[in-house]
Amino acid sequence: MGGLRTAESLRRTGFEGEITLLGAESEFPYNRPPLSKEYLLNPETKIHFNLNHDTLQSEFVLGDAAVRANLKEQTVSTEQGKTFTFDYLVAATGLRSRSLKFENNLLTKRFSLRTMSDTEKLRTAISSGMKVAILGAGFIGCELAATLTKLGCSVHVIAPEAIPLALALGEDFARVIQRNHEAQGVTFHMNTSVKDLIGEDDIRGVLLGDGTTIDCDILIEAVGSMTNVEWLADNNLDLSNGLLLDNALRAVTPKGSLPHVYGVGDIARFPYAHRQLPARRIEHWNIPIEMAKRVAKDICFQEGLDVADYSPTEAFCPLASFWSDQFNMHILSYGELHLATSTKLLDGDFDGEFVVGYYRDDELVGVAGLGMRGVLNTYRAEISI
Amino acid sequence: MIKVIVDMDKCQHYGQCVYEAPNIFKLNEEDKLEYLATADDSELGNIQAAVDICPMQAIQLIKE
Repeated sequence: MGGLRTAESLRRTGFEGEITLLGAESEFPYNRPPLSKEYLLNPETKIHFNLNHDTLQSEFVLGDAAVRANLKEQTVSTEQGKTFTFDYLVAATGLRSRSLKFENNLLTKRFSLRTMSDTEKLRTAISSGMKVAILGAGFIGCELAATLTKLGCSVHVIAPEAIPLALALGEDFARVIQRNHEAQGVTFHMNTSVKDLIGEDDIRGVLLGDGTTIDCDILIEAVGSMTNVEWLADNNLDLSNGLLLDNALRAVTPKGSLPHVYGVGDIARFPYAHRQLPARRIEHWNIPIEMAKRVAKDICFQEGLDVADYSPTEAFCPLASFWSDQFNMHILSYGELHLATSTKLLDGDFDGEFVVGYYRDDELVGVAGLGMRGVLNTYRAEISI
Repeated sequence: MIKVIVDMDKCQHYGQCVYEAPNIFKLNEEDKLEYLATADDSELGNIQAAVDICPMQAIQLIKE
């Protein structure tokens, strides 16, 4: 999505040069959030983005991953041996699922979820009545728990933290989510680590840290992601956590920013505009959309095009937002909740719909709600970014 | 003239469209989406932004 939105933004801002979108997956750009929900439930769900090739005028090179970038020579080489030269490079290569390593590292009946292909494999493997073990109680883990329960599976979620999604939403909110899942039949094994996998040729269960076992027909790992930035190595970039960028989303080297190399989306680690905190990545869906617009403006500006109300020195400062749908829970948030040192119930109550405020000292840094959309949105403007 | 179509089966009333094109989209007293089905060309940029930002990708824009 980041790549596509960048191309669209470039055209809308007046860029008339050549644009090539190079993608590792053999799919035209599609939307990922439905993969754990609607698309898993129903393969007919449309997830590909509407493309207007007449306005986009871009070349799509699909199913061929970038494997090496040479920024000095301004080239990118691909897995299949192609080489592309560029004046501007926008890195939007996203994430891949993290996989744990076990002593009995069985791979059969083992799944993760990042791509359309992952979802199709999972959907094919699932049948009603199956017992599913999910490692990880983050958003993907919890959304999958809900969807698989709807598909008739018996779901067990195993995670090392105390409450599912407590890291993302705080304890009060998280307890409500857990309760709602449990009311629908999901079983959580929190404060639990997985010591090893059980089975000979395929996974039959997991062995927990305390010595007990959980049987399962399939295992899903929802334990986080790795950034796809290896192809940028040996270019003096900071790839310690995604791709480090400056305030204008340009790649940083020890000698300064590279005016022709940008990052967009899940891999993009960018500075806070107004806080003395280390640069960070934000893995929320609206971020690549905002970054795409900014990068397009910057490129057009460098090209000497007339970009209204744009200064390259203005710091990029988006309001992050995410949503999650799990069973009948519709969660929406604004801001970077992880910045908070305390939370406060702003409206509603934890037995039903509610809005929680996230504060860093006295500053409102985020809000999140279960339903209560109208009230939630009234707090949006008050968030300090 | 721009035609705006929202798939109300997909719409989850997140209201992100309202921030991008407040002249076209709004959430009513029941927190449900209401929108104008036709818009002036001057709203093109805003409606395009709304199309992009909708978490459910429920909005379609047709230029006439």
